[in-house]
Amino acid sequence: MTAIDVTGLSKSHQGFPAVKDVSFEVAEGTIFALLGRNGAGKTTTVEVLAGFQRADGGTVRVLGLDPWAERAAARRRVGIMLQEAGFFPDLTVARTVDTWRDFTAAPRPRDEALELAGLAGRSATKVRQLSGGEKRRLDLALALLGRPDVLFLDEPTAGMDPEARATTWEVVRDLAGQGTTVLLTTHYLEEAQRLASALAIMDRGEIVASGGMAETLAARSGRVAFRMPARVRPADLPLPVTLEGGSAVCRAEDPDLAAQTLLSWAASRGVRLSGLEVRTATLEDLFLDLSRSAR
Amino acid sequence: MSMAATYRLGTRLFWRDKSMVFASVITPVGLAVGMPALMRNVTSDGAAAATHIFQGTLALLLAITAFMNVAVALAGRRDQLILKRLRATRLTDAQILTGQIAGTATQAVAMIVLCTLAVHLVADVPLPANPLAFATVTIAGSAVLSLLGAAYTAAIPRAELAAAFTTPVFLVAGVSAGAMGSIPLPSWLRPVLDLLPTTAVVDAVRTGDLVVPLLVLAGWTLAGLAAIRLWFRWEPRRS
Repeated sequence: MTAIDVTGLSKSHQGFPAVKDVSFEVAEGTIFALLGRNGAGKTTTVEVLAGFQRADGGTVRVLGLDPWAERAAARRRVGIMLQEAGFFPDLTVARTVDTWRDFTAAPRPRDEALELAGLAGRSATKVRQLSGGEKRRLDLALALLGRPDVLFLDEPTAGMDPEARATTWEVVRDLAGQGTTVLLTTHYLEEAQRLASALAIMDRGEIVASGGMAETLAARSGRVAFRMPARVRPADLPLPVTLEGGSAVCRAEDPDLAAQTLLSWAASRGVRLSGLEVRTATLEDLFLDLSRSAR
Repeated sequence: MSMAATYRLGTRLFWRDKSMVFASVITPVGLAVGMPALMRNVTSDGAAAATHIFQGTLALLLAITAFMNVAVALAGRRDQLILKRLRATRLTDAQILTGQIAGTATQAVAMIVLCTLAVHLVADVPLPANPLAFATVTIAGSAVLSLLGAAYTAAIPRAELAAAFTTPVFLVAGVSAGAMGSIPLPSWLRPVLDLLPTTAVVDAVRTGDLVVPLLVLAGWTLAGLAAIRLWFRWEPRRS
């Protein structure tokens, strides 16, 4: 079943096309990462999906509902963690959650929401005294209050320390395991790679790569890197390399095989390949490749 | 249920904000009670002058406690992206605004009742002869001024300018209702000022005639609703 269906979405701001003909689907109970540089159109896309902005063109459906025209119905089943949104600074964390519970049908108990977001020990603290990362966690607690079927997370772990980030990842994974569909935007590519099973990368308002995470990465080159030995020229090597700083980098579909080829060559010539690093393609490689080709 | 929740939230936040309470309660109550008390003691026609000036200060009470308060609160919440966060809940736009407007209108009505009792005690201003008519027009006036204050936020570019942008409304309301004494005005201006919602409330309290004032308030209600629909901004300007 498709939980989020976007077809030909377009949206302009004061004549500037922020999103151009974007299409993707998110299956129920999965985590989908929407990635891209600043200004790529991610937040505009999420805001249209969340019903804050009306699409100029195309169709958008969340759980079969038009999030703009049927906002009230959609909001009962959707949780939203906005990239930018304010709190009442003089309310305590507990009072904030209690207030939001008043706005939510069949809400989670306050303590459960705070426990989930890792804020149980801060319930008596005023919001103005929270750190940036703690405010993100409070944001998450509010988004989870209504036990949503679809969760929009716009930069959910920005400003969090590594421990809080790991806890948040665990929560998001658990929610998806229980059937919640999650659409995530993030600048942390490691986060997207760890959490999401599918992705779309946006650039200048368009999707430039999309698909299942594993398939998309499998289709990309891996890399073998090592320190360039003295008195060896790139042309001497059995595989083409590029020089990045003091390292030689060889890109190959099968990086294990490439490493074996290079090591065999080195052994036959008595050359040592120090600092050898072999890895399959990462989301970061893909992202950087796409950024370079876009320039 | 949800509108009641936004009503409670707006009211709770108002009373927690000490500087807001000071600016929007102490100042207008001081004017609405202090000026009639002064008139009672320094003019020859004592209670009559106090009554006239008190009725005029109702325009100031409405301008500050209803119009300015809601405009300042909503412009601040808009710029702090709190309205945006509220819109991320299942609340409808109408529930968010109606809860805030109703909370502010309630505070304005409470201020008017408090001042009416206070000037009766300290300045011998008689209590309203027709309490039902007085209640009708003050409640309607408070609601309309709160609605108009919400609509007016569209004209306020940034929250820190909210007070500066609403001050002219306060001055015009006060001059029009005679709350600042008798100020000579061009003859052509009087009929225009009579159409202000604050003047309509003061006229109704002075004359006891509700028909024309309530029609004026109904017209302003339609204008306020249309302005909110057309121009209300839920988020700060990006450019």
